Amino acid sequence: MNLELPAIASEFGATAERAFADAGGVDLARRAEARPEIRAQELAPLLDRLGALDLRVGDDMDTALAGAELCRVAGRNALPYPVTGVLASGGNDRPPVVLVDPALPRADHGDLFTRWRLAAVDGRVWEGRPEGRPLGTELGPFVVDMSVTSGAGRSADLPPVDVPMLLTLGGWQTLGTLERALELAVQHVNARHQFGRPLARFQAVQFQIADATVAVQSLRELARFTMWRLWVAPLDRLVDALALRAHALESAHSVLRTCHQLHGAIGFCDEHDLSILSRHAQPLLRLSAGLEATTEQLMAAIDRYGFDSLFDRGASARAAHRV
Amino acid sequence: MDYDLGEQAEGLRQRLRELVQEHVPEGFLGAFTDDPEDLATTQRFCKLLAAEGLLAKAWPAEYGGGGSSVWEQTVVREEMWAHHEPRGPQYMGINWVGPAIMRFGTPEQQARHLPAISAGDVIWCQGFSEPDAGSDLASLKTRAEPDPAGGWRITGQKVWTSYALMAQWCILAARTSVKPVKHAGITMFLVPMDTKGITVRPIPNLLGPHHLNELFLDDVRVGPEDVLGEVGEGWSVIREALKFERIGIARYARCDRLLTLLREALGERWAGLPAALRARWTRARVHTRAAMVLAYRVVDAQAKGVVDDADASVARVAATLCDQEVAEVLLEALGAQAADDGHTRHPVLHGAVEDHWRYAQAATVASGTIEIQRMLVARAALAAR
Repeated sequence: MNLELPAIASEFGATAERAFADAGGVDLARRAEARPEIRAQELAPLLDRLGALDLRVGDDMDTALAGAELCRVAGRNALPYPVTGVLASGGNDRPPVVLVDPALPRADHGDLFTRWRLAAVDGRVWEGRPEGRPLGTELGPFVVDMSVTSGAGRSADLPPVDVPMLLTLGGWQTLGTLERALELAVQHVNARHQFGRPLARFQAVQFQIADATVAVQSLRELARFTMWRLWVAPLDRLVDALALRAHALESAHSVLRTCHQLHGAIGFCDEHDLSILSRHAQPLLRLSAGLEATTEQLMAAIDRYGFDSLFDRGASARAAHRV
Repeated sequence: MDYDLGEQAEGLRQRLRELVQEHVPEGFLGAFTDDPEDLATTQRFCKLLAAEGLLAKAWPAEYGGGGSSVWEQTVVREEMWAHHEPRGPQYMGINWVGPAIMRFGTPEQQARHLPAISAGDVIWCQGFSEPDAGSDLASLKTRAEPDPAGGWRITGQKVWTSYALMAQWCILAARTSVKPVKHAGITMFLVPMDTKGITVRPIPNLLGPHHLNELFLDDVRVGPEDVLGEVGEGWSVIREALKFERIGIARYARCDRLLTLLREALGERWAGLPAALRARWTRARVHTRAAMVLAYRVVDAQAKGVVDDADASVARVAATLCDQEVAEVLLEALGAQAADDGHTRHPVLHGAVEDHWRYAQAATVASGTIEIQRMLVARAALAAR
């Protein structure tokens, strides 16, 4: 057993955190809403300087964990850039990938690239391109409608997309968002006084902080475990990654709700980071499949592959047992 | 990063499963029943484990243990709990009464009690909680007065006290002086249960037989040699004891086993369950996995000697809530078969689901309520701004 992140991953995450902070942190998202072009003009070069665009997350677990840390830090900062899709593309010479609902393909920051690969959870892959400008809605400031240009409904001629890796990196990004949202809530309830004392002194508030802490730590441990599983249980990758997504979505709903509640009105104001984090997190949580749809997909995947545990064998363990 | 427990731990897991398969009757649901044969099963099983050096495997070699790694101990906890604790009441002696005696006992106490515990010869119960001292344990009122003839005379009342009717010994907390700080003035005693003045009254309850008892102490005489640790320093013994319990029982292991078994047991009926219920089953499996890796984080810290109380409480909150969630999912999946103690006309899994649901009701109360755990988690989170 070794539950520690490899140094290469934690150091990469720490470097990215400093670089994003120096570039403005969550202010980057605010600025991008006013001037969308800074995503290509400032963020893409920043990620390039970090070496993020050269990370081959499919090469080995340590590199994948470095990529995962980058996604977590991106989530902490509501980074207005499709980091998971670029990392999971398989190399910076390939178009980025995005998980979509095939009935209505949309991609967050879809306008940043002319060519995309669109993937469904069941493994179908299409090539696509952005249709028009970002929607500019509160919950999808950079969400773009996508049109399918080739390979419709078939994976022929297109290299496969590593859907489990994409799902897993998304889980890490959500983890980062929730970590930061909870830190903000802790700061707020310590600083804000009502009835002559800090909100943190009220047990009703303490218990909400406790439950959100349990949710975030639970997601953190499952995210790490899932990334490990991707490398040791090749036949179970989709099940494990869907399980992480389901857990991430469920945690996001409860933790973000709690953080908004504890912040009161200030948390809805865009001058506060919580509002930005909460709004910019929504595309990842909603576009390809929400909690119930993800759970359905997970259920179907369990029917097919099993769910590895102390008393159940996943497909990889069953195959190894047969040998 | 590697979550593999290693070959030694996996070998131990296989051996424990073989022993359970061979020596624990199908349908065994633990020693908390009215059937004396169930207690006899656990007594035989403990002897068997002791003979293979597995009962006190976690103990240091100098006290007759196997000096195993914390990961092997984790496997023992998982396998025993998943199979309805075939060590019966003896897990308490192994898990923390023994270790507390190692830490605080005199050489005579160690020589008397430790071999008996590691050999599987003795059942202990715990006299901590009182009618007016639950979560606020330090407010306990049971009094131990110095006996002019030497030793102590103890009078008071304990409650909960699982297995009190089965136990030969009790580790008992009593107040030996009244101090301004209520944690001070508590002393720990090792008391034979057949001492004159001890009366046990079982309390009929939802969890099942033997879980809850009242223990009355009426001028119970104990010798000076029966004090564990220093007089007035019982709170440190309790704290140490609770430290051994910090990781708690591996509830996720039984959740996992029952979630898996129930789906198999339902066969074709599974597909006919409401989709929403199957979705809850699916998420419960994820929560069970998350509870497991949270527990592993605490075990890992224990291996490094740096357990954080708040992290242990996080794992405990997740595990106990998961336990109750799984209990609801399983019982609902049984529908009309939910009323099933294993002896009805349509038993499923020998009544394990009903048994699990009943015991799960206490998951967020026993060994420190979830409210206390949340307070510990919040305190740490709010301090770490």
